[in-house]
Amino acid sequence: MSSKTSNLPDQNGFYGKYGGKFVPETLMYALEQLEETYNNLKDNKDFRKQFYKDLSEFVGRPSPLYFAERLTQHYGTGSIWLKREDLNHTGAHKINNTIGQILLAKHMGKKRIIAETGAGQHGVATATVAARLGLECHIYMGAEDVIRQSLNVYRIKLLGAQVHSVDSGSATLKDALNEALRDWVTNVDDTYYIIGSVTGPHPYPMIVRDFNSVVGEELIEQSKELFNAMPDAIVACVGGGSNAMGAFYPFININQTRLIGVEAGGEGVETGEHAAPLNDGEPGVLHGALSYLMQDEKGQVKETKSVSAGLDYPGVGPEHSWLKDSGRAEYVAVSDQDALRAFHEVSEFEGIIPALETAHAFAYLDTLMKEFDSKANIIVNVSGRGDKDINTVAKIDGIKF
Amino acid sequence: MNRLTQKLDKLRKENKKALVAYLVAGDPDMDSTLEIMHLFVKSGVDIIEVGVPFTDPIAEGPIIQRAHDRAIRKKVSLEDIFTLIEKFRSKDDETPLVLMGYLNSFIFYKNLIIENKNNSVDSILVVDIPGELKIKDYGIENENINTISLISPTTKVERIESIANNSSGFIYYVTLRGVTGSSNLNSEEIIKNIDTIKKYAKVPTLAGFGIKSEEDAKLLSKHSDGVIIGSSIVKMIEDNSKTKEFAKIGDYLVSMKKAIT
Repeated sequence: MSSKTSNLPDQNGFYGKYGGKFVPETLMYALEQLEETYNNLKDNKDFRKQFYKDLSEFVGRPSPLYFAERLTQHYGTGSIWLKREDLNHTGAHKINNTIGQILLAKHMGKKRIIAETGAGQHGVATATVAARLGLECHIYMGAEDVIRQSLNVYRIKLLGAQVHSVDSGSATLKDALNEALRDWVTNVDDTYYIIGSVTGPHPYPMIVRDFNSVVGEELIEQSKELFNAMPDAIVACVGGGSNAMGAFYPFININQTRLIGVEAGGEGVETGEHAAPLNDGEPGVLHGALSYLMQDEKGQVKETKSVSAGLDYPGVGPEHSWLKDSGRAEYVAVSDQDALRAFHEVSEFEGIIPALETAHAFAYLDTLMKEFDSKANIIVNVSGRGDKDINTVAKIDGIKF
Repeated sequence: MNRLTQKLDKLRKENKKALVAYLVAGDPDMDSTLEIMHLFVKSGVDIIEVGVPFTDPIAEGPIIQRAHDRAIRKKVSLEDIFTLIEKFRSKDDETPLVLMGYLNSFIFYKNLIIENKNNSVDSILVVDIPGELKIKDYGIENENINTISLISPTTKVERIESIANNSSGFIYYVTLRGVTGSSNLNSEEIIKNIDTIKKYAKVPTLAGFGIKSEEDAKLLSKHSDGVIIGSSIVKMIEDNSKTKEFAKIGDYLVSMKKAIT
């Protein structure tokens, strides 16, 4: 959990004008309860000790910061470093947050855990921590994603959780979130909802950010140790934005480090067929928060397009909207095609098969590395590993098993 | 005076309970919606709640979600709903109309609310704004439109007080933990909570979510100032959306009206 590097959110859960708690009244009490519990526990010595112990012994933290030699040679300038969140137990950064939130659930005496998932990584991470504590667990997943992430669906089931396939709307991540919220409204007394990104109503964006900030905290130490300076840039993919927020947050006041979020450009931002609200969206309210949002000409939430299930979301965490408007972070977009190219390149150059989400961050190096000289240190946050995406990529490459 | 306030005052003076009926605008199409709205009034409905379709209606159960989906496929926007209401008002200038929807739609079309041509809309109910926030903070301001706030079984007493102070139309008591159309009414809890709300509220308290039968309506109307019927009506609209014969809805509402009288 991060030491404070910004005073946001304010006491009502706003980051500038973004954020808030825009939920049906039935959930207000649950959110207040959660906020109170979190505020009481976050600086508690025993709680912090347990959190870091679990991260160390169960997740395998700290994750290495690894020098990507061949990728660096490929670009011929600067030094490219990889923050290896893909090496975490369950294969992505998502576990950092679920380890923290399950401790809150336990403390609050909740017996039933629910979560939404897109790529399935958060579903796996939630089912994992629920299994560890023997709690009943239900994962909501869009019907589309159940098909394209079948491997993770099976992993979730192996971990003893139930997967609920969601057919409504566009049958992707946003609809899974809708359904999880409806479950929570109905079972609010005994259920804890582990939101998987820095999205949703306050206090979730803050809680998820704080737990995942362990990534950025380690980066500060590792940068000192490995290259004796603060990095010149950190690059991370942004769907809801939790891996980026966790890496960025401890650096907010370290102005020499550029913070670069890479959204899913789908068919290309100019085509409108993408999942890049910070590049091509307007502020709006979805899932309890005011933030940049992809909307059509009638104020309806638009269906998104991305090869990566984990980025296929029309909204984004409110703190990213604030970081964009304030100019502290930059947000760009990378197309499906470029992400797929990077997926193959990184696999071949580094012996690391990245998640399709992460491949977006890698793809942006093509543009970014031209802006740096040989002394620069660039960190790519490798948010997760690509095993889950093998079927998707093989299909695109025309390979049948 | 605003039609809604006027109507609720009148009912209170006559010691009568309000019957509120909900539908989603554009489900299955705008002509049917207009026809059903007039049918509502003919069948004894006092106040109409017009649902504004949204892609992500998080407080709705499957029945009303499907209605939102049907209306969205017809590309119904808040702008179209104002046109619908104008048509309705050409024949009925008395029945209070409440727009019920999600904050994003109202922010997106705030100019329509600010203008509210001919004062045809009387009230707004935003499902996903906490009771202590005001929609005027989001630029949605019209002094002739009042706002309805939700209070639920999980609302703490301290918040009941501030929400009650903020409501200018009526207070919508959500009778259950759940989405619209669920069925786990706990009458003891409902009665206790409505009594608490009434201690603080300056406006009437109506009950909704999960009211299906005449028995439900009868019981709740004893303790509240009226009942709101949504999912059962929307289900009947769905079942008859091909034939477009909606007379049964009228019969159902007549019996509900009788139950609360």
